[in-house]
Amino acid sequence: MTAVPVATKPVGVGWDPRRYFGGFWRHPFARAVLKAVLTVWVTTTLTFFLIRLMPGNPVELKIDELIQTANGALTYDDAKAIASGLFAIDLNAPLHEQYLSFIGSLLRLDLGRSFLSSGTTVTSIILAVLPWTLFSVGTGLLLSFVAGIFLGLLAAYRRNSLLDRIASTGGSLVSSIPNYNLALLIILFAGVQWHLINFTSMRGAYTSGLEPGFTPAFIADIFYHAALPITIYFLTPLGHWILSMRSATLSALEEDYVTAARARGLSDGRIRTAYVGRNAVLPLVTQLAISVGFIVGGAAVIEQLFAYQGVGKRLLDSVTQRDYPVIQGVVLLTTISVVVANLAADLLYSKLDPRIGRAGGAAG
Amino acid sequence: MPVLSVRGLSIDYLTRRGAVHAVRDVSFELEKSETLAIIGESGSGKTTLAVGLIRLSPRGTRVATGEILYTKDGMTSDIRKLDDDDLREYRWAECAMVFQAALNSFNPVITIWEQFLDTARAHGIKDKHRVRERSAELLDLVHLDARRVLPAFPHELSGGMKQRVLIALALMLEPQMLILDEPTTALDILTQRSIIDLLRQLRQRLGFSMIFISHDLSIAAELADRMITMYAGRVVERARVEDMFYRPRHPYSLGLLRAVPRVSGALGSVASIPGSPPDLIRLPKGCSYAPRCPYAIDACREAEPPLLKVDTPEHEAACIRWQHVAEVIGSKAPLPVAEKLA
Amino acid sequence: MSTAILARPTLGQRVAGPIVATFEFLRLLATRPIGLAGFVGIVFFIFLAFVAPLFVPLRNDPSLVDIYQAPSAAHPLGTDFQGRDVLNQIVYGGRDILTVAILAALVSTFIAISIGSVAATVGGRLDTAILAITDVTLTLPKLILLIAVAAILRPTSFVFLAVILGLLQWSSLLRQVRSQVLSLKERDYVEAARSLDLGLFHIVFREILPTMRSYIVIHFILAMTEAMYAQVFIIFLGLVPVSGSNWGIMLYFAQGQGALFYKDSIWYILSPILAVSLVQLSLVSFAGALEDIFNPRLRGA
Repeated sequence: MTAVPVATKPVGVGWDPRRYFGGFWRHPFARAVLKAVLTVWVTTTLTFFLIRLMPGNPVELKIDELIQTANGALTYDDAKAIASGLFAIDLNAPLHEQYLSFIGSLLRLDLGRSFLSSGTTVTSIILAVLPWTLFSVGTGLLLSFVAGIFLGLLAAYRRNSLLDRIASTGGSLVSSIPNYNLALLIILFAGVQWHLINFTSMRGAYTSGLEPGFTPAFIADIFYHAALPITIYFLTPLGHWILSMRSATLSALEEDYVTAARARGLSDGRIRTAYVGRNAVLPLVTQLAISVGFIVGGAAVIEQLFAYQGVGKRLLDSVTQRDYPVIQGVVLLTTISVVVANLAADLLYSKLDPRIGRAGGAAG
Repeated sequence: MPVLSVRGLSIDYLTRRGAVHAVRDVSFELEKSETLAIIGESGSGKTTLAVGLIRLSPRGTRVATGEILYTKDGMTSDIRKLDDDDLREYRWAECAMVFQAALNSFNPVITIWEQFLDTARAHGIKDKHRVRERSAELLDLVHLDARRVLPAFPHELSGGMKQRVLIALALMLEPQMLILDEPTTALDILTQRSIIDLLRQLRQRLGFSMIFISHDLSIAAELADRMITMYAGRVVERARVEDMFYRPRHPYSLGLLRAVPRVSGALGSVASIPGSPPDLIRLPKGCSYAPRCPYAIDACREAEPPLLKVDTPEHEAACIRWQHVAEVIGSKAPLPVAEKLA
Repeated sequence: MSTAILARPTLGQRVAGPIVATFEFLRLLATRPIGLAGFVGIVFFIFLAFVAPLFVPLRNDPSLVDIYQAPSAAHPLGTDFQGRDVLNQIVYGGRDILTVAILAALVSTFIAISIGSVAATVGGRLDTAILAITDVTLTLPKLILLIAVAAILRPTSFVFLAVILGLLQWSSLLRQVRSQVLSLKERDYVEAARSLDLGLFHIVFREILPTMRSYIVIHFILAMTEAMYAQVFIIFLGLVPVSGSNWGIMLYFAQGQGALFYKDSIWYILSPILAVSLVQLSLVSFAGALEDIFNPRLRGA
């Protein structure tokens, strides 16, 4: 702040909120963040209503259950008070207050406590299993994406060759099979019928009794146990990456700037990476973002089949056990993770494509 | 010795319906520091020809016959026989081709500087400082500010700026020959003017030979020394530019000239050529222009006329009735477009 | 002469038109073997699921003597953990699955088309609001939500299930419909219709949507595959009250009753896997061929 007054500056109407927010809104990153927050809020509200307001909602069921097990020793209000404690909400308060306190506790990262062991917080339960899912899904997805890009590019460059036909048709075939079917087939044939893999020992996230830590033995062990899930996460979307990259590459190859680059004498290698590859991969980054939600969801059934203790399996277990706070917690946390992953992908995209998010344009 | 000598070049596109004879038996020569204009309508084969000169034809194209002889420092080579490495060397260092619609000639995701660097590196110049200096020099030649242009991405530049950058880039390795395909077509009229002036300046300063391809006769009038008109894949007339404008001898050239409206003068003086170009897969017997030609006679439909020498020097026309065309012109006032040459 | 142009098509022309179009379509399909195989597959499974049960009697009485029999003349695909014939279950098992898939696809396609076109034609704030809602729905982890919703709501009727599935799916199609309608809005023939003052409804349904027909059909097929996947997913996980014996339920029991591990019971688990996978494969291959056929650039190439 200088002491010299800016003499000619007109005294305006003051701070115009619309223009301020307008500028903010136009920045694509701010828009993305807003969208992310909105998504989480919608899921939160949806979960709230599902659990509290639907006919046959868990709260009412719990109260009934408590009354039944007490065999008449409990009044409705007493049961309600107990349920109140279990769900960590004040059931006597008006609905909008319940909602606000719900949001409040979420913001404090308090997701309540598990029904089964009221000493354990939902947050701690989820944090115990989340890393396994992130590890297996993340590794599988990343490997799939990279392999898919590579094969798709190759297939486009050698269009209609044997490689192309195998990659495209094979990939699309495997990707059309639902992931649970693929998993069952692998267990059935590789495991049971042909005895190629020792399925029973590969179940679970790690061999029980083994000391967790950053030792090579332990790390080898977790990869051993994650091998089957990672294989499924790798194979299921692979065909889509191959076909998308192939078609994106074919489009890029037809672009004028590729011909212009060849006219300048650039080597095929350089054109393939910086001119064709970098342009073709852009739409795939968006697709990656969109696919995260689907793959994380599909992971639930894979974790169930392979008894892999990740978030998906925990969700399914809590469904069987009617542990509603955990169900709610998992839904919320998964949504947040997916939304964050999407944001990261959006950010990556804007870094890769200079045409996005720049306020400038053609000048003179 | 001419810089470029094309002899009997024929290029076909292979399609399911048959071979499309896009370029048929084309021959011409380009001397040092000379500017040649290749004029024709869409589908006349002019772009196929240009792209064929640097062997950048797309998949499914076959160069059926012909030679493309390039001469530098007394040594001549047939471009068609070059191997891949020599070809990459030839492209840009000897012959630089600037494409139609510079709008999409740049990779949209990397900066202009990187694209200059790529070009330099592809021809063995690795020293970044040298490339930096040279790029600044070149951009200066085309009246652009290197500090603004080099770090920019293509979408940040206007059409005219991009065309200038392309021209600057084309001159990077001091090629003997520049080929420009429709250099001004996608630009507005003021920008067109500035590009034409720029090309004239650069040519005078650096002395390269230039071939440009267009359907726009006025640019030929401004820049060309000699002109070729192409129709249905063939050269139908070859002449010095004044002869082409004042004394055309092929009915197609005449038709083209008449089709250009003049700024001054009566509206009735414009006449388009009726009909459309022939199917290049199954060409009609005889002269390919005969169906649209007002002077065609039976003999015209017998056989395709070869290029015949006409009454002015260095002037050939593929028409057996060229004398008749000469008479038709002789009886009329000077043609509209000729005003530009004044 | 002018009346001839405006004359209504005769009955003969009206019948001949679609027949010729169908033959033309089949001819184009024949040149694409994978798509053709997909088409044949779809027809086969529709026949199997909806027509075959009319002729084959249901035999689902448990028979403890016949548990996990190997394939034989009486039981071509063996028996299950309760001694019931597997082939019979496969024949009867497709009906529910396919019905739900078709219903769900109808729901999501309908929502996407109607709301998408409205958003594009009306524009303004409504459009922004719809777009925001769609973007949000697009990023939601649908399968996780499906698990939670199924667990809490416990849908017993298949129609209810279909509606839930349809409600989760419409977002991506809506965005595409909206952008298509937006771009078509500027085209000349729409301008012409507007200048003739033909009304919003007419413009959308008579001018724009017919050109998007192929687009919509392809999406319907892909929506069916998504719905099938989600459906078998939650049945397999046991989240939906099991009744009847559709393919998903067969998978659920087969896995739960250890059919994976016995040599003789392999067909009990393998046949629903194959059935579901083959239907998915057929749908996807057919959709791929359709995309090819309807792409004017590639047609006749």
